[in-house]
Amino acid sequence: MLVQTTALSKRFKMGEVVVTALDAVDLGVAANAFCLILGPSGSGKSTLLHLLGGLDRATSGGIRVAEENIDTLDENGLARFRRTQVGFVFQSYNLISSMTALENVAFPMQFAAIPARQRKDRALELLTRVGMSDRAHHKPGELSGGQQQRVAVARALVNQPRLILADEPTGNLDTASGESIMELLGQLQREGATVVMVTHDTRLLKFATQQVHLLDGKIVPPPESAALNQE
Amino acid sequence: MKFLDLVRLVFENLGRRKARVGLTAFGVVIGTSAVLVLVSLAIGLQRNANEQLYGIGDLTQIQVYPNYGSEGDIRPYGGGGGGGGGSTATLITNQTLKDFAAIPGVAAVVPRDYFNGGLMMQMDRLEGYGSVIGIGLTNLTDLGLTARVGTTEITKTTVVVGSQVALNFYDPRLRPGQEPPAPPDLMGQTIRIVLIRWNQDGTETRKTIQARVVGVLEESRGEADWSIYLPLEEVTKWNEWALGRRINRDKDGYNQVIVKAADPRATLDITNIIVEMGYQAYTPQSFVEGINSFYLILQIIFGGVGAIALFVAAIGIANTMTMAILERTREIGLMKAIGATNRDVMSIFLGEAAGIGLVGGLGGVLFGWTAGQIINVLALAYLAGQSASQGGPPPSVAVYTPAWLPIFVVVFATLIGLLSGLYPALRAATLVPIQALKYE
Repeated sequence: MLVQTTALSKRFKMGEVVVTALDAVDLGVAANAFCLILGPSGSGKSTLLHLLGGLDRATSGGIRVAEENIDTLDENGLARFRRTQVGFVFQSYNLISSMTALENVAFPMQFAAIPARQRKDRALELLTRVGMSDRAHHKPGELSGGQQQRVAVARALVNQPRLILADEPTGNLDTASGESIMELLGQLQREGATVVMVTHDTRLLKFATQQVHLLDGKIVPPPESAALNQE
Repeated sequence: MKFLDLVRLVFENLGRRKARVGLTAFGVVIGTSAVLVLVSLAIGLQRNANEQLYGIGDLTQIQVYPNYGSEGDIRPYGGGGGGGGGSTATLITNQTLKDFAAIPGVAAVVPRDYFNGGLMMQMDRLEGYGSVIGIGLTNLTDLGLTARVGTTEITKTTVVVGSQVALNFYDPRLRPGQEPPAPPDLMGQTIRIVLIRWNQDGTETRKTIQARVVGVLEESRGEADWSIYLPLEEVTKWNEWALGRRINRDKDGYNQVIVKAADPRATLDITNIIVEMGYQAYTPQSFVEGINSFYLILQIIFGGVGAIALFVAAIGIANTMTMAILERTREIGLMKAIGATNRDVMSIFLGEAAGIGLVGGLGGVLFGWTAGQIINVLALAYLAGQSASQGGPPPSVAVYTPAWLPIFVVVFATLIGLLSGLYPALRAATLVPIQALKYE
């Protein structure tokens, strides 16, 4: 298993009330899987994804990703983990508006202390891979939503992560753009990447090799309507 | 993160918000230029004061007197009549002169003495008065005196007179209403020096000595202008005649010694050593040091006024950075998501704060230096007019900026920026990534 959680729980304090976002979740994701986490709003699916990526800390339970117990890492350890093992794709792209597509893709490599020349070459290679090489010197404001998300996917790949974490990557896109982003992620998975993606769109199940349904912070069996694509 | 990447990123980030960074940096410009101009002004004033002071006296000279104890009354030659309190006196003997000469940094030790008796000068029909100084050297240039005409060398039969001595001659037979004669030109003239001794019974004895004037000194604005210089041995002989006994320097001591330092900076130290040895010692240098410490305080006060302006600017930087962090919370979250450590985030925001300080500091130096030059031109024109009407040399500079000051000011402004950014940067660095990413 590339990803393994054991009795993973996360509780928030909302004023006086304690909200349980995740309740003892045991989840395993094999390497090279395309795991789709589904559930309605507030089911805890995004929280689960953030915990897997080391963006937040669990209240209790263990997380093991790429042979590392990330629940025991300190701040610097988590930063290194995020830099080397995971790539994030967000619903709202989170590109830096003052940087060109190329600079956005190259940005994470600055924190990895990679020389400038190498950064540029690698970023251009990845932009070519996601079909954005002709827009390399455009700023995010000059790109469509689908194009921005392609740049964001290229950025997620830049440090050759073991795990790609996508949080509703198609949520802000029209159907066609969303479809093409899913095709891109599917292609990456076929080429060997492991993808864990959160969505509430059951139409995307056809891309998944594994599906996890969450409700009120617990894993539940898939509803009858959700048929897994068994290709 | 590599340092060069960090610097580039910091300035790119600053460039994204030109207007706000510019306004914040302008606050720093005002603060740093205020520090620069005010401190330069204080330094300029001090230089002016020193230029004027170096004219009033030779700063290497220390006047040393024997210490006659707490009574403070000066009794030449042990008081003659019994020496009741003489045991507390610290006399300057021949041995003392050697001790003074042995102090490190002393260039020369010159004993001198006044004639202690009545004295009158005669030249042709004119009579004059003046103070006779016997001095233990052969050339007055050693005391920093220069001749207007003739020589500064003194021998047994010649005298060198100060520039104003001629003004002391008058015609004793002048009737009221008659035009007084012009001051005589003493150079080359033989004058008669009449010494007067008062005896116990109230009568007086006179003794006349002839001496040729071989030099008239340049005006020194000091005691020398009104003095007649002779060899010390001559004046000692006259004093012995007036006293009616021999003077033994080992028992009676010298009345006054001039100790000359090799370097003006050593003057005060030597003075202190001599005071510790139990003598009274005075130097114009102590006056100069007092003036200097006054100007140092002035510099600190002026610098403090500028520092207040800088402090206000620092609050501006802190405010700008706090706002920037609120606006860029999502960006901070993203940086952390793609692998930035807390230290990376902290460095970026500290760098931006220091960058504002640096830009403002550089601008402030440029602005302050220009302002200083303008003040110099205006003030010097005004002061030159002032000093022309009052006499005396015009000041050479009003605002003086030493090379270290702009460097110090830029480094200081950068440090102020860095300090102002500390709290905002710390807040940015410790944000929880997911909360930063979800921030609206």
